[in-house]
Amino acid sequence: MSVKHAFLGLLAEGPLHGYELKLSFEERLLPSSPLNYGQVYGSLERLERDGLVEHEVIVQEERPDKKVYRITAAGLGELDRWLRNPSVPALDLRNETFLKLAVARRLGDIDTAEVLASERRGSLRRLREVTEARRQAGAEGKGVQLLLLLDLAAFRLEAFLKWLERCEELFDQEATTNGNGNAEDA
Amino acid sequence: MATVTQRMPETTDGGTAAVVVKGVRKVFGTGETAVEALRGVDIVVPKGEFLAVMGPSGSGKSTLLHLVGGLDRPTEGTIEVGGQDLASLSDDELTLLRRRRIGFVFQFFNLLPILSAAENVALPLMVDGVREKQAFERAAASLERVGIAGRSAHRPTELSGGEQQRVAIARALVAEPVLILADEPTGNLDSAAGEQVLDLLRNVVDEGAQTVLMVTHDPRGAATADRMIMLKDGRVAEDHELGRAASLAEVLSHLEELEG
Ligand SMILES: Nc1ncnc2c1ncn2[C@@H]1O[C@H](COP(=O)(O)OP(=O)(O)OP(=O)(O)O)[C@@H](O)[C@H]1O
Ligand SMILES: [Mg+2]
Repeated sequence: MSVKHAFLGLLAEGPLHGYELKLSFEERLLPSSPLNYGQVYGSLERLERDGLVEHEVIVQEERPDKKVYRITAAGLGELDRWLRNPSVPALDLRNETFLKLAVARRLGDIDTAEVLASERRGSLRRLREVTEARRQAGAEGKGVQLLLLLDLAAFRLEAFLKWLERCEELFDQEATTNGNGNAEDA
Repeated sequence: MATVTQRMPETTDGGTAAVVVKGVRKVFGTGETAVEALRGVDIVVPKGEFLAVMGPSGSGKSTLLHLVGGLDRPTEGTIEVGGQDLASLSDDELTLLRRRRIGFVFQFFNLLPILSAAENVALPLMVDGVREKQAFERAAASLERVGIAGRSAHRPTELSGGEQQRVAIARALVAEPVLILADEPTGNLDSAAGEQVLDLLRNVVDEGAQTVLMVTHDPRGAATADRMIMLKDGRVAEDHELGRAASLAEVLSHLEELEG
């Protein structure tokens, strides 16, 4: 996720200072992802270094001076480029569950079925929450942006749960072809 | 705070259980061709619970649902619905129980094509001796409840899949059964229509205090339920309590952890 480009997008609507950018980002763009000040000022510094934004110092009485940022022509160009080009899909392959399964398979003292069951429980509980939040948001007439964010979370969890099912299928298949005692049968 | 209602699950003894499945085995056929569809299943479904049943194809989900619905009898073990042991009932009594206390929803809707939506819903009541006028009044109320009162006069072929399934749910609810059994009710629907059906079933549990047992292949379906059990090779392999959801604000505040 590019905070920098999100900032360019917000500044394309008009000049803002750092704190306003943080708030706008959280309220209008990604309510699920609060930014810390390091991210806010780090992103602004880099944008400024690359000539994509510039700032003007506003002197205030009794309060610290504040920097108001505005987007440059180069910034508008970069924003346009970002919007029109495909993002690299995030695959999240540095996956904790995957690692647990890989370790469990090597050690053999915990059944992968047990790992899968506990991972399934965790993801399903999460999906239960997101599903209920989605229902609630829909019933309360929340805007389409929030509904879609919750849908994104739900679809991801759904895909992950399907992948857990696939893991189980392939482990079972493997156990059958190897003819070892992994598949329990009374 | 309109939609999240706190519901305390009742304890799972005989009196508060909607369904008790004890040591149930089901064998189809005999000799070499015998198939053991259920190999010793124990499940207690408390009243007012929404239970999802998942599991690979052939794991015995539909078989379980049929046995609980009294459509078939187990080879071994007992099944109680609303405190009644199904084995103690004659076929006629079982028919009555199915008509009055259990509502069925299937993947392929099973509506009668020559009847209108209202007639499909009213039919089971009339079969049970309810007078026509009253049966149609109740059918209308039931169609209203599932949000398709405006489609009452349409035949199934004139309705979308999602609408047909809602008619089927209206039919399942019309006798005000204590238990709804649904076998892949969203299996034949796209995701939007499927979500409406899941919402309806969720409301049935939240508002009507009815009990729902739903077979599903869809994780989103399972995540609408309070609990999910997973069948594998005719046995309960997993049993997960999913709990009640937090508020929207709370969920949003930790949504990002999803990316762990
Ligand atoms: N009436 C029947 N006669 C013979 N075998 C049957 C009968 N009904 C089910 N079976 C067998 O019992 C096993 C369990 O079937 P069941 O329909 O319960 O599976 P399921 O979990 O519902 O699968 P799916 O997800 O594909 O619907 C299968 O091996 C099936 O072939
Ligand atoms: Mg089935």
